[in-house]
Amino acid sequence: MRLQPVDVEVRGLHRRFRDAVAVHDLSLLIQRGEFFTFLGPSGCGKTTTLRMIAGLLEPDAGEILFDGRDMTRVPPWHRNIGMVFQNYALWPHMTVFENVAFGLVERRAPRGEISGRVEEALRLVGLEGLGSRLPSQLSGGQQQRVALARAVVVEPALLLLDEPLSNLDAKLRVQMRNELVKLQRQLGITTIYVTHDQEEALMLSTRVAVMHRGHLMQIGSPQDVYERPADPFVADFLGGANFLPGAVRATSGEGIAVVLEGGEVLHASASRNAGFAAGERVTVCLRPEVLDLVPADGAADGGNVLHGTLRLRNYLGWVMTCEIELRGGALIRAQAANPRVQLRFAEGGPIAVRFSPEDVLLLPGSA
Amino acid sequence: MSIPAPLPLPAPPPVPLPARAALRWRVAVDPGHAALMAILLAILGVFVVLPIGVVLKVALTGAEGGMTLSHLVRFFHTPLYMESLVNSLVAGLWTVAIGTVLALPLAFVVARYDFPGRMLVVTLATLPLVIPPFVGAIALMQIFGRAGTVTLLFQDLFGLRLNIMEGLRGIILAQALHFFPFIFLTVTTALMNVDRSLEEMGQMMGARGWRLQRRVVFPLVLPSYAAGALLTFVKAVDDIGTPFILGFKNMLGPQAYLRITTVGRDDVDGYVICVVMVIISIVCVLASNWIVSRREYATLQTGARAPEGGRTLTGWRLTGVLGMCAAIIGTALIPHLGVVLLSFSKVWSLSYLPSAYTLGNYAEIFLRAPRFVVNTLVYSVGAALLSVVLAAAIAYLLQRGRVPGKGLLDWIAMMPIALPGVVVGVGFLRVFYGITLPWIDQPLAATWVIFVLAYMVRRLPYALRASHAALHQVHPSLEDAAGIAGAPRLRAFRRVVLPLILGGVIAGGVLVFVTAAVEFSATIILVSRIEQSPLAYGIYIYSQSALGRGSAAALGVVAIVIVALGTYLANRLSGRGRMAFTL
Amino acid sequence: MRTVMRSVTLLTALLMTSGGVFFFPARTSAQTQQVAVITSFPKELFDAYKAAFEKANPGWTMAVVPKPTSAAITHVRERAARPDVDVFWASAVDAFIFLKANNLLERYAPPAEFRRGVPDKVAGFPINDADGFFHGFAVSGYGIMWNKTYLARNRLPAPKEWDDLIKPEYFGHLVITAPSRSGTTHLTVETILQGYGWQKGWELLIQMGGSMGTITERSFGVPEAVIAGHYGIGVVIDFFGLSAIASGQPIDFVYPSLTSVVPANVAMIKGAPNPEGARRFINFLLSDEGQRLLFKPEIARLPVRTTLYAEAPKGIPNPFKMRAGVQFDADLSAGRYNVTNRMYDQIITFRHADLKRAWESIYRAEKAVEAARAAGRDVTEAERLLIQARASARYVHVSEKMAAEVSGGMDRDAAYRSAKEREWGEVARTSYARALQQANQIEELARRR
Repeated sequence: MRLQPVDVEVRGLHRRFRDAVAVHDLSLLIQRGEFFTFLGPSGCGKTTTLRMIAGLLEPDAGEILFDGRDMTRVPPWHRNIGMVFQNYALWPHMTVFENVAFGLVERRAPRGEISGRVEEALRLVGLEGLGSRLPSQLSGGQQQRVALARAVVVEPALLLLDEPLSNLDAKLRVQMRNELVKLQRQLGITTIYVTHDQEEALMLSTRVAVMHRGHLMQIGSPQDVYERPADPFVADFLGGANFLPGAVRATSGEGIAVVLEGGEVLHASASRNAGFAAGERVTVCLRPEVLDLVPADGAADGGNVLHGTLRLRNYLGWVMTCEIELRGGALIRAQAANPRVQLRFAEGGPIAVRFSPEDVLLLPGSA
Repeated sequence: MSIPAPLPLPAPPPVPLPARAALRWRVAVDPGHAALMAILLAILGVFVVLPIGVVLKVALTGAEGGMTLSHLVRFFHTPLYMESLVNSLVAGLWTVAIGTVLALPLAFVVARYDFPGRMLVVTLATLPLVIPPFVGAIALMQIFGRAGTVTLLFQDLFGLRLNIMEGLRGIILAQALHFFPFIFLTVTTALMNVDRSLEEMGQMMGARGWRLQRRVVFPLVLPSYAAGALLTFVKAVDDIGTPFILGFKNMLGPQAYLRITTVGRDDVDGYVICVVMVIISIVCVLASNWIVSRREYATLQTGARAPEGGRTLTGWRLTGVLGMCAAIIGTALIPHLGVVLLSFSKVWSLSYLPSAYTLGNYAEIFLRAPRFVVNTLVYSVGAALLSVVLAAAIAYLLQRGRVPGKGLLDWIAMMPIALPGVVVGVGFLRVFYGITLPWIDQPLAATWVIFVLAYMVRRLPYALRASHAALHQVHPSLEDAAGIAGAPRLRAFRRVVLPLILGGVIAGGVLVFVTAAVEFSATIILVSRIEQSPLAYGIYIYSQSALGRGSAAALGVVAIVIVALGTYLANRLSGRGRMAFTL
Repeated sequence: MRTVMRSVTLLTALLMTSGGVFFFPARTSAQTQQVAVITSFPKELFDAYKAAFEKANPGWTMAVVPKPTSAAITHVRERAARPDVDVFWASAVDAFIFLKANNLLERYAPPAEFRRGVPDKVAGFPINDADGFFHGFAVSGYGIMWNKTYLARNRLPAPKEWDDLIKPEYFGHLVITAPSRSGTTHLTVETILQGYGWQKGWELLIQMGGSMGTITERSFGVPEAVIAGHYGIGVVIDFFGLSAIASGQPIDFVYPSLTSVVPANVAMIKGAPNPEGARRFINFLLSDEGQRLLFKPEIARLPVRTTLYAEAPKGIPNPFKMRAGVQFDADLSAGRYNVTNRMYDQIITFRHADLKRAWESIYRAEKAVEAARAAGRDVTEAERLLIQARASARYVHVSEKMAAEVSGGMDRDAAYRSAKEREWGEVARTSYARALQQANQIEELARRR
């Protein structure tokens, strides 16, 4: 396949549905060959953005450029893109072959060439020999591969994927995820992916854009957005987090001391939390998996310790999640590996959580 | 990598757009869709709104111009019209009542019990739909009339003189036998859709047998029944063929026809009668829609539906049920039997069965006067094609269109469902007699095209519903995918949407064809030359000549065959197990 | 393969759809010319003429607009400015007189060859309009048809004369249509009035009305009811009976001795779009070929060309040789046209139920009296009352002189007309009610003792 991927630039994109703003003033640049993901809960505007890039929806305002060329008014059939829909959108009255060949026919590909290119695309997704089947005779995973083959066979400049894995069962989803990333790397095609599944986003993408209520919250590499969430929403949406309001008491070269509202003092690493000044109000962000459960009378050997009461424990086999009411009254969630050991803590009994300063993330302002 | 400044939570409410010079505003209206909408509205405006509007205008315009209700008031002070109104309403009510008596036991038995021949009962019970009531009336005269088979039998065996077909009674019988399957189908469907668990809950609360039916099942089924009964009533009032064939003229439809044809096209009374008919019809259709919109609670329960069939019957119960089914269905199939017999009869006078048989009636209609059949096919196919194209376009706009005014379009397109055929005919006559086609120098209303147009308007709602349903099955993403794959909008429609909706749309077209083929009400108003007249009018003409009953029956058999084949085809195409017939 | 099939289906569908939109009739091409005929005749008749006319006139087609006479008149009247029919073709001469009076007909004199052998009058009735506006093409007499099976089942003798029809045994077995609905029945009623005289004629008509099982809305309704066996005996124009006999139905027909014969007519419409066609059609009707067609069994009408009767099939009478008992006075008939029809409706059609009940009781009373007499009882009082009851039940309120006097006023003044109608109806109602009461009294009287 001779793909000529493009970069995609979006400037001031805006779209409104009746009274609700679906996408608000969105600007970003997607590099050539990148695997770019829009991530967010349903209704955040990610699919709307994708459909505008595809040309299926016209923006109220803003511009869409491929390689610097303005595509805003170009209809989808002239944009040379491939797209996989959430429900695959396979044409039920056409065979697999006809589905895949459709775009080539529309592009007036030479007759002799079509069959070879369709076969190649089917081989690429592991469906060689199934060309004469109808979509209804295929399994969900196979349908998804046909949709993928149909999207790439036309050698598009841009591949759009709209939650393509959400209709598959868990096991198949993992498998397809791996194949998808392999295929994308192999073809080197600029790919825009839309999902609400953070795992998919983190695993597949070169960069992730987190959206919320039509606004772009953060753009960055998977590690960026996970490790350095720009705000409590991103932190909470990616992996979940506990938020405790507080204020910076002092800063030094090694660490930052933060006073919580209940009066407890925490230490945070200065290297991870640069740019905070004493007296500044902050939100302390603690991911549940960094909290160790320790007995209430245990020693605080160098880490931070918060005391409280175990309110609820959920035993899930490989992990145990707990809700702990801190002395100040705040409720936090903790997630403990090796739950067999942690079953010693009884619901309603005293407990403490321990965590290192490296795991403390400070966000400016109070929630 | 730029990390945008964090925003406060929760996300801000929608803010007005910054006023930037470079902003380009999306056009909210798709120009292509707007053009299509304009064309469709124009077509519907001319062929639906204009005729009915003119009827209204004439009925409500005073002698010196200006609005007046005086004509309408006079209607209610004219004894003949009041008698006609009462007769029409009474006939409609009795039709529904007798139809209910025939349909309910059958529906209940079919939905609740399992017994050998159950599917046969369902199939046979829908057969009366294929025989137009005015064709059935001809046969019923031969069976129950003054010299009918049954009448003679009673006279010879018991010395009793039956008088079943006299006056309104004959009309009611013919209509009830034709329309009861509508009620049967609605009630059966409703009964099958009642969530079994609701019934089981009732049983657990202690209701059993009749009490269970009365307190739980009937209230759940009642809305469907009421909606079906109302629409049956509308159709019964709309039917003027049966009164005409039976020579009964003191009803609304026949009176409107008589005023327009014998007094004249300018006779206000004819239009006033039309307006009264429209009012009755609209009230019933609105009531029916209202009931349907409220009945969701009964049918939209999730979970297990009642399994096909139900308790298995044995012993004397089985015998009783089978006997009842046989009796009802036997009665319902009498018209079919009578028509077929009559069509082969040469002499059938005062005898149980014809005393001389002939194929001459078929020779008459196929060899000597084949134009009735040919005309019917031409008009009905034309109407089906036109309405299908219109309906597909309308359905597309309604579901996918980006253009204002969709509500209006929907409303106008569905309006004919509440317009009696006589009214459509009268409106067409009034409007299109004034329009002369330049290249043939004849009024539009005098050409055969008027039939195609009138049938198209009459049956557009059927086609629209079918297209709607078909298009509903096609997810918009299928069309989007075609666009992405490189197909412009029209090509995407042709290659993806059209093939997918074609089955359903054609099924709708077949339904239009079938119902147009036996359309009588609008026909009798519009027909002028016998050369142009379709089968339904042919049946009337034959039945008007003393020796033509056999030929009328033969044409009736042709009508039955057309309707039966068409219905079967529509069912196959729409892929539904049940009769595709919709009210 | 499937793709091929599918594209074929698709193509067909598209062709059909576009065809439906753009296909428009190219039927009315200039190659054939058309004559449009509006007629009240039954299908058997106009179908036969259409086929024969088109065969005899290559390049011509005949279009038929079938309407009942009254609707046909409306049709012509409404389109007077732009007529769409060329020929008016019907039985009732009154319709033609009306059209002529309203200036809706065109004068036409058929060439001499088509007038050869056509006498001026049949049984005293002029065959053609004196001014040449309409032309008789067939003559018809009036009579009685009956269903032989029906009479046999009910053990009834066949009737011969009009006054046979008032025999008690025929009660409930007769059928007629109202003269106001049917031009031919109007002529029958007028024949009876002229044959028996006004007073006796109406008494006969009223008592006959009492014996009617039903009074149909259309003239076709009568033969239909008799052929189907709904009723046994019908008062009809001859061809209804003759054609039914010819087509093998168990029917018989008789001309009573007091009958009349009148012509059925044809005329050209004023401003006919195709006058040439109209002339051709009228000529064809009057040609030997057109005249012979009338003998066809399913038509069974009597030609106006006397020379053709030599070749008439069996059972077809020659009206020109018939001793018509009534010399039909057309002027008399036309002069009281409205009065006759409205009177018939008011005292017979609309009072049919009352009339029927009265006569039913009288016949029952007669039987009771008969039985009483046989039992040797004194029935003088009962017989005296019986005469009164019969007189009430066929009371003629309007004398011939009165009829002539009100006729003009009724035609002109709608209020006067409805006042008169109400008066007649009311008198009839009370007379029949009195008859009913008297008859019941007689029956009681006869059964007593």
